[in-house]
Amino acid sequence: MQTVKIKEIIKETKNIKTFRLDLDLPALPGQYVMLWVPGYDEKPLSISYPGEDVGLTILKKGPTTTRLHEMKAGDVLGVRGPFGRALKISGKKIIAVGGGVGMAPIAPLIEKAISKGVEATVIVGAVTKRELLFVDRVEKAGAKVIITTDDGTCGLKCYTTHALEQELKAEKYDECFTCGPEVMMYMVLGIAKKHKVPTQASMERYFKCGIGICGACVMDDGGLRVCKEGPNFRDVEIEKFKDFGKYTRDASGKKIYW
Amino acid sequence: MLETEICGLKLDNPTVLASGILGNVGSSLRRCARQGAGALVTKSIGKHERQGHKNPTVIRVKEGYLNAVGLANQGIAEFGCEVATAKEGGVPVIGSVFGFSVREFVSVAATMEDYGVDAIELNLSCPNVGKAGAFFGTGEELTYEVVKAVKDSVSVPVIAKLTANTGDLVAIAKACERAECDGVTAINTLKAMKIDIKAGMPILGHKIGGLSGPSIKPVGVASVYEIVKETDLPVMGCGGVTTGEDAIEYLMAGASAVQIGVGVADRGISIFKKVSREIEEFMVENNYKSLKEIIGVAQG
Ligand SMILES: Cc1cc2nc3c(=O)[nH]c(=O)nc-3n(C[C@H](O)[C@H](O)[C@H](O)COP(=O)(O)OP(=O)(O)OC[C@H]3O[C@@H](n4cnc5c(N)ncnc54)[C@H](O)[C@@H]3O)c2cc1C
Ligand SMILES: Cc1cc2nc3c(=O)[nH]c(=O)nc-3n(C[C@H](O)[C@H](O)[C@H](O)COP(=O)(O)O)c2cc1C
Ligand code: FES
Repeated sequence: MQTVKIKEIIKETKNIKTFRLDLDLPALPGQYVMLWVPGYDEKPLSISYPGEDVGLTILKKGPTTTRLHEMKAGDVLGVRGPFGRALKISGKKIIAVGGGVGMAPIAPLIEKAISKGVEATVIVGAVTKRELLFVDRVEKAGAKVIITTDDGTCGLKCYTTHALEQELKAEKYDECFTCGPEVMMYMVLGIAKKHKVPTQASMERYFKCGIGICGACVMDDGGLRVCKEGPNFRDVEIEKFKDFGKYTRDASGKKIYW
Repeated sequence: MLETEICGLKLDNPTVLASGILGNVGSSLRRCARQGAGALVTKSIGKHERQGHKNPTVIRVKEGYLNAVGLANQGIAEFGCEVATAKEGGVPVIGSVFGFSVREFVSVAATMEDYGVDAIELNLSCPNVGKAGAFFGTGEELTYEVVKAVKDSVSVPVIAKLTANTGDLVAIAKACERAECDGVTAINTLKAMKIDIKAGMPILGHKIGGLSGPSIKPVGVASVYEIVKETDLPVMGCGGVTTGEDAIEYLMAGASAVQIGVGVADRGISIFKKVSREIEEFMVENNYKSLKEIIGVAQG
């Protein structure tokens, strides 16, 4: 655990802020840290800006993220990591689907891909215009951007999955990446499979240790640990998960059906 | 060559997954068996579901690992399917149980037996929850009472897991023996704390937790040595086993098997295979034909 000061806080959307920390933390796209909010809790968060002044982009959800949103530059946070298996780019033309704060690992992935000469399309989805994350960032990086909102306040009025279906019908992609709500990822995997596009998805389960020993984040039935062998898995691995799209587990280990 | 026996359970090798490590989900227990564990101990399960303490629950420190998970578990009623999956691993499954009263210990152990476990391990040693665990394992009378009550109500072997956070570990082990306990595991974590000096507060959500890893091994080895010297109980050694050499130390102190906990973080789930191979290499080099020749040699 390293304790560091918050260097800068950037308001990204109504409910999402980016926290730049006074810490140089080299990491690969899709890796995460365990972030300790002293006196509150410790939570897994994707690294949205790897390297110098490492950045985390956080949606205000429950008690801990609400506390984070009240914090100021100069406040102290604890960081463990980087942990987890990264998203790996091997195609020459890729498509990524980010739902809501799921754009946090997708944005650095796209920047890395384009810097390596890979052609990239990003489908950025949110409930409404004010919640769209990192549209300018991926556009600036040079990606083709397709925006969807549930209420039609920006871009296409549809789900990201609908836009993906259209795009895969129109264009040929080598590889697909996705991060967002599990139902969305479930559908993305189905659509990509239909079009024979290999896919990596960023899984979310309850985390405690982050280092592969407590068993909180295990997926049935192979016993893979989301914190260690994940959080990013390939479609061939995900197809074997009995719980994906069906149930998760709470902090006690009890199954919670979606 | 590596076969051993503990409380009537036959193990292909002496490396056993310790309680609380990947132990609340059947599929990860089974995975540990496939990676070479000779037996599996489940997470400690109680009567009711518990969410456990707030994070941070497990952290790495210079001296090893600290944890205060707080006996998080899904409750015994939900645990049957996990035991069934764990058993597909093909090695003995030991059900760890805890309780806030003697009655709870008995009822959870009885259900655990119904689920088909090969033995029960009584967690009399958790340092992280006030009125469970170590509350029972630090007094001779309560230890006797719990062990006796569980022994009277189940027919599978009963193993008591003890803590070194007590004035007289041998006296506790003797109380287990009087209650006709089949064996003991020693040791659980040692009470410990880490304070972050920049935040000016303990890091663990529960503030105080338990220390695991190499730094507690000498304490574990001494505990095993004394229990083996002073009682006739079979013992599983636990605390800081990361390599074959660590395991051999415990075996030489008199343990019939060793449990591995946070070693899984340092060497991966395949640590069971690795430690077994290292024990075997040592045996070949030093002309040992079976573990029996090693177990207890240091007792002199
Ligand atoms: C690998 C990974 C990367 C993540 N990256 C991001 C990110 O970049 N940005 C972001 O905003 N959120 C991210 N999350 C989700 C984030 O961890 C939760 O939103 C946060 O823990 C909520 O805490 P809370 O106290 O505010 O809310 P709570 O009310 O405590 O929880 C709200 C919901 O968050 C989830 N959650 C709570 N605690 C945990 C935990 N210990 N582990 C996993 N999930 C938990 C549960 O689904 C819960 O129902 C990520 C989660 C994982 C597993
Ligand atoms: C995250 C974690 C959870 C644990 N949970 C339990 C538990 O539920 N029951 C128990 O008897 N011991 C529990 N322990 C203690 C271990 O079983 C073991 O006794 C201890 O970690 C020392 O062994 P080690 O150094 O090999 O890890 C836990 C340890 C850790 C690190
Ligand atoms: S969070 Fe502990 S094993 Fe994954």
